[in-house]
Amino acid sequence: MIDVTRARELAAAAVKGALAAGAEQSEALLVASDSALTRFAGNRIHQNVASEDTELQVRAVIGTKVGVASTNRTDEAGIVACCEAAVEAAHHAPADPSFPGLPGPRPVLEADRTSPATLAFGAEARAAAAAAMIEASSRDGGIAAGGVACHRDVTAIANSLGVDVAMPRTTVRATVLSTSAAGGTGWASFAGRDASALDAVALGERAADTARRSSNAIELPPGDYTVLLAPEAVAEIALFIGWYGCSAKSVEEGRSFMSGRIGERVTSPRVTIVDDALADDAVGLSFDYEGQPKQRVALIENGVAVGPVTDSYWAALTGRQNTGHALPAPNAQGPLPLDVKMAAGDAEVADMIASVERGIYVTRFHYVNIEDPTRVTLTGMTRDGTFLIEDGRLTTPVKDFRFTQPALEALDTTLAVSKHRELVGEEGGALVPYLLLEKFAFTGTKG
Amino acid sequence: MREFLADVLDAASRAGATYADVRVTDTTTQSLSVRNGTLEGISTGSSIGFGVRVIADGAWGFAASCDLSRDSAERTARQAVAIARASARVAARPVELSPLPPQRGRWSGPCAIDPFSVSASDKVAVLLAADGAMRDIEGVTLTTGELSFMKCAKTFASTEGAYLEQDWVESSGGIVAYAIAEGEVEHRSYPNSHGGAAFQGGWETIKALDLVGNATRIAEEAVALLSAPYCPAGITTVILDATQLALQVHESVGHPTELDRVLGDEAAFAGTSWVAASDLGTLRYGSDAVTISADATVTGSLGSFGWDDEGVPARRENIVTNGILTSFLSGRESAAAIGRESSGAMRADGWSKIPLVRMTTVSLEPGNAGALADLIADTDDGIYMSTNDSWSIDDKRLNFQFACEIAWEIKDGKLGRMLRHPDYTGISPAFWAGCDAVCSEGEWVVTGLGNCGKGEPMQIAHVAHGAAPARFRDVRVGVAR
Repeated sequence: MIDVTRARELAAAAVKGALAAGAEQSEALLVASDSALTRFAGNRIHQNVASEDTELQVRAVIGTKVGVASTNRTDEAGIVACCEAAVEAAHHAPADPSFPGLPGPRPVLEADRTSPATLAFGAEARAAAAAAMIEASSRDGGIAAGGVACHRDVTAIANSLGVDVAMPRTTVRATVLSTSAAGGTGWASFAGRDASALDAVALGERAADTARRSSNAIELPPGDYTVLLAPEAVAEIALFIGWYGCSAKSVEEGRSFMSGRIGERVTSPRVTIVDDALADDAVGLSFDYEGQPKQRVALIENGVAVGPVTDSYWAALTGRQNTGHALPAPNAQGPLPLDVKMAAGDAEVADMIASVERGIYVTRFHYVNIEDPTRVTLTGMTRDGTFLIEDGRLTTPVKDFRFTQPALEALDTTLAVSKHRELVGEEGGALVPYLLLEKFAFTGTKG
Repeated sequence: MREFLADVLDAASRAGATYADVRVTDTTTQSLSVRNGTLEGISTGSSIGFGVRVIADGAWGFAASCDLSRDSAERTARQAVAIARASARVAARPVELSPLPPQRGRWSGPCAIDPFSVSASDKVAVLLAADGAMRDIEGVTLTTGELSFMKCAKTFASTEGAYLEQDWVESSGGIVAYAIAEGEVEHRSYPNSHGGAAFQGGWETIKALDLVGNATRIAEEAVALLSAPYCPAGITTVILDATQLALQVHESVGHPTELDRVLGDEAAFAGTSWVAASDLGTLRYGSDAVTISADATVTGSLGSFGWDDEGVPARRENIVTNGILTSFLSGRESAAAIGRESSGAMRADGWSKIPLVRMTTVSLEPGNAGALADLIADTDDGIYMSTNDSWSIDDKRLNFQFACEIAWEIKDGKLGRMLRHPDYTGISPAFWAGCDAVCSEGEWVVTGLGNCGKGEPMQIAHVAHGAAPARFRDVRVGVAR
């Protein structure tokens, strides 16, 4: 895979190429990637893949007409063809009077977010990690499924106004679903930059332990319950709030919970959600796909809707500051938060459980989707470790529920937030705590 | 090309592969979108690369690269074999493939007017005309429209002697009108939600949609929804239109009958299935009215091809016949695991991904209930729902919940009031057991879905579903309100 220097050279060549082809302004986004994934199921590795690619995207501007072209042919002829295609697309585009022009250079944090351990984590190491995770389940007659994924990339962005930024990154993610001999299921996952932080044995044990405790689940009737949501479940809620409600585009169009409600209380004061790609533990890029510095943005602060993220287009259109949250152009989503974090609270998880007289512990959700964007009404299933809490203790495993719940209304009933947080997913994931919610609507059972 | 593929296969064999196949895929795309009278984006893209899949030491390995040089052919093939040998460290049994005679040939999809030969300005003009017609309706606050085109050329070869060339064109398009007021968001899509309608075919398929001619109607419906009553909560009879049935079939029949899911290979991500391999031939999946086919030979469908990505010829068979499970979607490995032949359903999302068991055109076969008007006239009390808005289903594909864009109540055999935010929920076998009528062939249409996600790394498949409106008894509706 090409290095940072070569990525910058290719991006710069594309910027010049588009100008030579007739663009008045030009921008190039170059992403070179090398990915590998070892998947296992039924206690054996059944899929094991690797791929490398280099993708170049060119944005050409003529007046306020904009065209985009992309290619993975990055030799000289390929770059020239891509630049010409972008310029041709711009010629066919009607003028957009709202287009503010490409953004100029601003200082960015150009951190090296690679890990030597992840770079060295090859097929043999992934197989060994898979074997360790399987062992925790198989020794008691259980079955494990999951995967170990390693990814490295270099992102370089340049434009004709002087933007020239680049960043190399690595990520690693491991997951394990354990099914006990008695049919209970348990889940554990790890995500981060550094493969040396992956404790495959512990991950496998955690999933297998939950699976053993999940066996012989009882069925409870649907209804409103107090719930303790583990980070995997909390992340789903935080991400849907971010995706559907925290873009300047959706706010401007009236499709967001924030539309007309900025400055109002939308959740319990115990809830703070930010987007922060600058934190030491961030895995995402510190700049957006226009090469602009990402700002730390408070989305919901102490329960109050603060504001959405922007990019250069939506910042100009709505009179807001550019927070540096552009996606690759063109995109229908508008700017999006990709490094969502929910603030930690002051509660110990054990104390949160101990405070519940009767409620449900949820390890994670499955297949969540949105029914109403302005209320962020979500539906989905519980999965892989759902327990009844009685008199302050996890007692009986419970058959999985379907929930149908406006997310903000649920967060408005937040009773406690844990000190402990976990990163769920990679870029596009979320760093979130456990949440204790007084009221959560389970509307069906698995059948 | 033939020489490059041979180099890859030779390198894999020399490195120790006992089986290898290689796919080169060359894809060109174009997309255009408008929003509120302005072009939001116009982009073109191209991607080419190859993937080599091998069995070595009895286990799978796969490697892919965008570099089509001779050096890369050797390096990538060796990498695939090294990965397979790592897989073999954690293997339960050697991989076995169902038998397949060597396949050779060429297949092309239908395309009357190459969409890449049509001026981008003409495409923009169609979108802006439809957009303008929607914005002419008072109360419409947001309008969007999009067109997407893809042409793909794929060459496959294997150490078993296969050499296959395929090329096809896909076109899709749609428009959406929003009416947003006082925190309520209503919208209507045409001809379908989630990007519109999608076909194998060229510009002629977009012209046939008549986006402009349908813009006013959906804009008026979006505005009307704002003042319509909410879908009531309760248990009732539901008639679903063909586009919603497409997703219902997709989620609650297509995915649970993918044999890799049934065997547990997707357990950690998308889940498994409520169906067991041993259920074949005996499981009652639905009522006698329910026959579900899987057909990779439907002309113009996103689910069609000449051979799948293991080189198995396209075929048609019934997954469910008069309510009884009669087959699975499968590939050579999963089929061999239960002593069957591949159903020819292994498909990969481009050159960098391995083939997985995917849907083709999985369809609810037409019944004998006549036209939609006849079915409504035959229904005393119920709700008619149209156009999917959201979907969710559990990891075994039992408990589902769907929301639609719009509904109408049915009273005494006639459509009544419009209803907003309709949704319904159910359990797959009970739901299909409640199907008592399917409209006749004249109402049967194929709906392309270009967003079927499965596997890790995530793969997006282009699949399709035929259906005619159908009636279901005792369905729970109005869940979210």
